[in-house]
Amino acid sequence: MAVYKKSYRGYEGPLTRERSRFLIIPRYAFEEMRRSRFFTSFFLATLINPLVCALIIYLHHNFSALEVMGIQPDQIVAIDGAFFGFYLGFQSMLAFFLTAFIGPGLVSPDLANNAIPLYLARPFNRTDYVLGKMSVLLILLSIMTWVPGLLLFSLQSYLEGTAWLGDNLRLAAALFLGSWVWMLVLSLLILAISAWVKWKPIAGGLLFVVFFAGGGFAAAINEILRTKWGHLINLNHIVGSIWIWLFKGSLESSGGAVFFGVQRGEELPVWTAWTGLLVLCAICLRLLGKKIRGVEVAP
Amino acid sequence: MSGARIVFDDVSRFYGEVLGVNRVSLSIPEGITSLVGPNGSGKSTLMNLMTGLIRPTQGTVSVLGIPCDRPDKLFREVGYCTQYDSFPSSLTGYEFLHSYLLLHGMTSSEAEKLTWEALERINLTGAAKRRVAGYSKGMRQRVKLAQALAHNPRVLVLDEPLNGLDPMARAETLALFRQLGEEGRHVVVSSHILHEVDRISDQVILLSNGYVVAEGRIQGVRSEVKEHPMQILVRCNRPGELAAKLFGHEQVVEAKLHADGAGLHVRTRDADSFYLLLNQVVLDAGLEVEKVAPADEDVNSVYEYLIGSEGGSQ
Repeated sequence: MAVYKKSYRGYEGPLTRERSRFLIIPRYAFEEMRRSRFFTSFFLATLINPLVCALIIYLHHNFSALEVMGIQPDQIVAIDGAFFGFYLGFQSMLAFFLTAFIGPGLVSPDLANNAIPLYLARPFNRTDYVLGKMSVLLILLSIMTWVPGLLLFSLQSYLEGTAWLGDNLRLAAALFLGSWVWMLVLSLLILAISAWVKWKPIAGGLLFVVFFAGGGFAAAINEILRTKWGHLINLNHIVGSIWIWLFKGSLESSGGAVFFGVQRGEELPVWTAWTGLLVLCAICLRLLGKKIRGVEVAP
Repeated sequence: MSGARIVFDDVSRFYGEVLGVNRVSLSIPEGITSLVGPNGSGKSTLMNLMTGLIRPTQGTVSVLGIPCDRPDKLFREVGYCTQYDSFPSSLTGYEFLHSYLLLHGMTSSEAEKLTWEALERINLTGAAKRRVAGYSKGMRQRVKLAQALAHNPRVLVLDEPLNGLDPMARAETLALFRQLGEEGRHVVVSSHILHEVDRISDQVILLSNGYVVAEGRIQGVRSEVKEHPMQILVRCNRPGELAAKLFGHEQVVEAKLHADGAGLHVRTRDADSFYLLLNQVVLDAGLEVEKVAPADEDVNSVYEYLIGSEGGSQ
């Protein structure tokens, strides 16, 4: 046995906080996305709707501007639950497309290239990895949905006064929670799909299939069994039911009804929608847990 | 003592019904340790066990006294280089190393410093700002090696690190391993290039079908293989005469002239007695001896003796 000089010295410098280390993943992911012109253009385009909404709110409170434009105050859309519901519904639709576009590129390349051990051979565990990858989507989708939503809400509160703010605080909560429900569903689903389907276009396409085929199956079950419980496998319906509850709007006009196609008389009790959502999240996490490992355990 | 070693205590790992490794007990000291065995012999399983990427079905593994199920502590001390070419395609060599150092918890400025040190160590500073996707196979192998050692670990676990390297890069890499071993680190290497592993290893672990067949310093392992007489090459000025004088002695099982006519291959069951005999014969006959060296005291030979043709292809 050689007699070693023991000249080696390990790293003794400062360390960053363990809990925030997962944010290193989005930092590099955004760098990569920034290089895609399509992504940059699409992402910027998603901010047009919030700008239009801000303009509407502004005009609503600026009679002289309306007068110049020749518009009567009662001709302009009311700023209420339905307004914010529409806003969020439209943004959520864009969020869906963005997720289908960038989501598959987050996990599947790492799995296809056996790169997971590169992450896990650090003081960095599977939860950190999934959180890091999810946060890429959560940050982007937040910028598209609840962040501008709450800014619009603040603008309306500022222009309308504190009485309006007090009466409509539930709307702010609905914007925030409704966005998070949607963002979590989308992020977990696309990560779980792309962990199992390594070909990116197919994984993106499967996100559409899960949403639209689920609706088809649900309709078939409902028709055959003459029930409405088939909607439990329809993700649109589950999220829509929760949104309707959050926005407390009428079925005809709230974002939940319009964008998720929930029909009168077919709405699910809200507790079943929440349960369905939790089951979906659990399934996605289980699917991710099976694939996100340091080493593929198949012999 | 186990605090400075990599310890496998009666470790088995099964993949369903398929055996990965079985009842492995090892205590790996500092220096360069080579894992040698054919595909499927359990090399990668052992490496994944010591890096905590898989858990043993039975037994325990610890690295420098740290249980392998504590990645927060373990990976301060361990650097792992997998056999796969796995890189985020859009990152440059610099970004690749820097990002993984940030995952280790280094601050950005510390990570920057360590990144350049690692790049310098593997001679890749010139290509640091180029995308890894455009690197040659050898450069990718080197940058992969750099990510394993950039955070200054005490233990380096390197799965097939010589694959794809050209002879020059291979020589440089082997020199780097030697240097790392001499610094007092554990360098655990698996490789198919046995003669090169042989040159640098302080100890070897021979594996076959999930079992440890032999472990220790290669000379020690060789001397334990009693059924195969040791082969010694004697280079001298009159090998024919030497052969004639050696034939009658019981220590000598076989003596064969070397193909170039300037040496003699002797097989013996007792090397120590043979060396004494050789001294005597050389003095009596007045031979000029240029070199006396074991001819099969290398990983390749030992592997073939122990595992047979299975290892021959490696």
